[in-house]
Amino acid sequence: MGRQVCIASAGFSEHASKRSDVSMPELVSEAIKDCLKNAPSIEINDIDMFVNGNMPAFEGANIPELWMTDWMGARNKPLMRVTTGGTTGGSVAIAGYYSVASGLPGVDTVLAIAFEQQSQGDTATGLASVAYGEISVLNSLGIPYDQLTLLFSAGAAIGVASYQATNYMRKSKTTEEDLARVVVQNRHNAAKTWWAHLKMPNLTIEEVLDTPYISYPLRYGMVCPASDGACAMLFTTEEKAKDMCDIPVYVNGVGSIATETGILGYCGSGSGQLDPSEQLGAQKTSDVAFQQAGISFPRKEIDYAEVYSPFPNQELMWVEKLGLFEENTASEMYETGVTALNGELPINCSGGVNSTNAIGASAMERPAVAALQIMGKASNQVPETVHTSLGHGWGGYINLITMMVMADEPARKFK
Amino acid sequence: MSKLTRRKSMEYIKKEYVRTRTMPASWYLSSYKFKYNITHMEPMREKLKQKKLVGLQCSSCNRVFFPPRIVCGKCMVKPDRWVDLRETGRVATFTIAYIKDPETGEVQERPIVCAQLDGSDTSYPTQLNPDIEFKDTYVGMPIKVHWAENSEGGLMDIQYYDVTEDKAQDLELRKD
Repeated sequence: MGRQVCIASAGFSEHASKRSDVSMPELVSEAIKDCLKNAPSIEINDIDMFVNGNMPAFEGANIPELWMTDWMGARNKPLMRVTTGGTTGGSVAIAGYYSVASGLPGVDTVLAIAFEQQSQGDTATGLASVAYGEISVLNSLGIPYDQLTLLFSAGAAIGVASYQATNYMRKSKTTEEDLARVVVQNRHNAAKTWWAHLKMPNLTIEEVLDTPYISYPLRYGMVCPASDGACAMLFTTEEKAKDMCDIPVYVNGVGSIATETGILGYCGSGSGQLDPSEQLGAQKTSDVAFQQAGISFPRKEIDYAEVYSPFPNQELMWVEKLGLFEENTASEMYETGVTALNGELPINCSGGVNSTNAIGASAMERPAVAALQIMGKASNQVPETVHTSLGHGWGGYINLITMMVMADEPARKFK
Repeated sequence: MSKLTRRKSMEYIKKEYVRTRTMPASWYLSSYKFKYNITHMEPMREKLKQKKLVGLQCSSCNRVFFPPRIVCGKCMVKPDRWVDLRETGRVATFTIAYIKDPETGEVQERPIVCAQLDGSDTSYPTQLNPDIEFKDTYVGMPIKVHWAENSEGGLMDIQYYDVTEDKAQDLELRKD
């Protein structure tokens, strides 16, 4: 049995499409400073171990953790890098959790850092480097390259999301207006968050529906931006966390589960996930994490949720698959205001990935915001007291889900 | 300018940052040799030359893979049984891509579908008959293989998929 782990603090850098004033190490440094500002009693020298990660090859720089060691304050300290594609942030947070939970001597306080500076590099090249090997198999099976580019011109992350969107919209009878409503809620929330990227306080549903399609049924106005930004989280033991902050956030359950790859599949062999919006991995992950946290009725027991939703249809999909709402009812909840800031179950009050997407950092910003909401230090704070919250991440070959369930008290083991 | 190509910038609260030095750089990545085993696909390619469709079945869980796979992920078993597939199938999922012609600048709307053949349990991305109106595509649409004139023993022997008439009135996935 591992040690009980707590989150003592979390911090962000400012996010923008082009952070032209800072380099990558300076961006990371900004997030760490903000993280340590929230826990004034400790300094950078008190941290025992560092875990970090970003999406490989997106900035055109490999092994960035080694040349930014001094900017992180990681000199002569244990350092580890984790990258798992879109869920990098979630995996980094989980690695930070396990580093503390394992109870190694001398490792009590762990700083987890995730970052991305997309304006430096070419995201399309980065994504192509992930999928090119698989796509070239189809080439050898007799599909010429120009045909392949046609097939995958809807490609990259938005291609996958639009497949999910068509299936989800058909099953749940969701309209494009419902999708636009999710976007409007997110962008309005982002306007109240100091570090968010797309702050649009006056956006309306009509404005979103007026933009052209990128890939049916997703429009230009519904899609997440590409941001520069970094996020840092401080994991520590229960005893130390009580000294560091007023309300320590207990990490009660983590999950990280992958299922079969979607759409293209391994070596171009197709996918067994006939319905990309089914997401068995998400259902399994939430089962595992809720079981660890002793939560039987997520709908009633979770007070706040941050889900990874670059596209609005995914936000509707995830809240259902994670057990927060009944199947096919999420769009009603957005319409009636259950998910708004002062609603029954607020969702993505930071604006979500829909408003700020620094790919490597995004999946970590979800548990970080969820933890800050429990501490009462979030930038767009929910008026009601938050006792339990969750942060969720999605990525990999559209098949890896990470999740972290947090509360202001230790997990109830027998229930 | 047509509505499809117009990129209307949406207003948001923007903060100006000081511009420091930027060094443009390009990075030549070497050529790579991706290695994979396609010997398990040879029987399928032989059959495709005769305009016949076969899938590979896992002997443990009885799932049929088209295109074939080396290993069944559920059972960690090497599938080894070849089964015949029908030429009909259905659209498992689809999207519409907006492709800009680099020469003329016109935007084409092309449906891209994931097709599941009857008798198989997997879907793979492919394309529909270009004559089909893209607005008519829907999930669960019944389709049929259209063979290419010259068969070369590859997946391109299936040139595209035609739409067939759906006579099943009580089909759950019928278009609303």
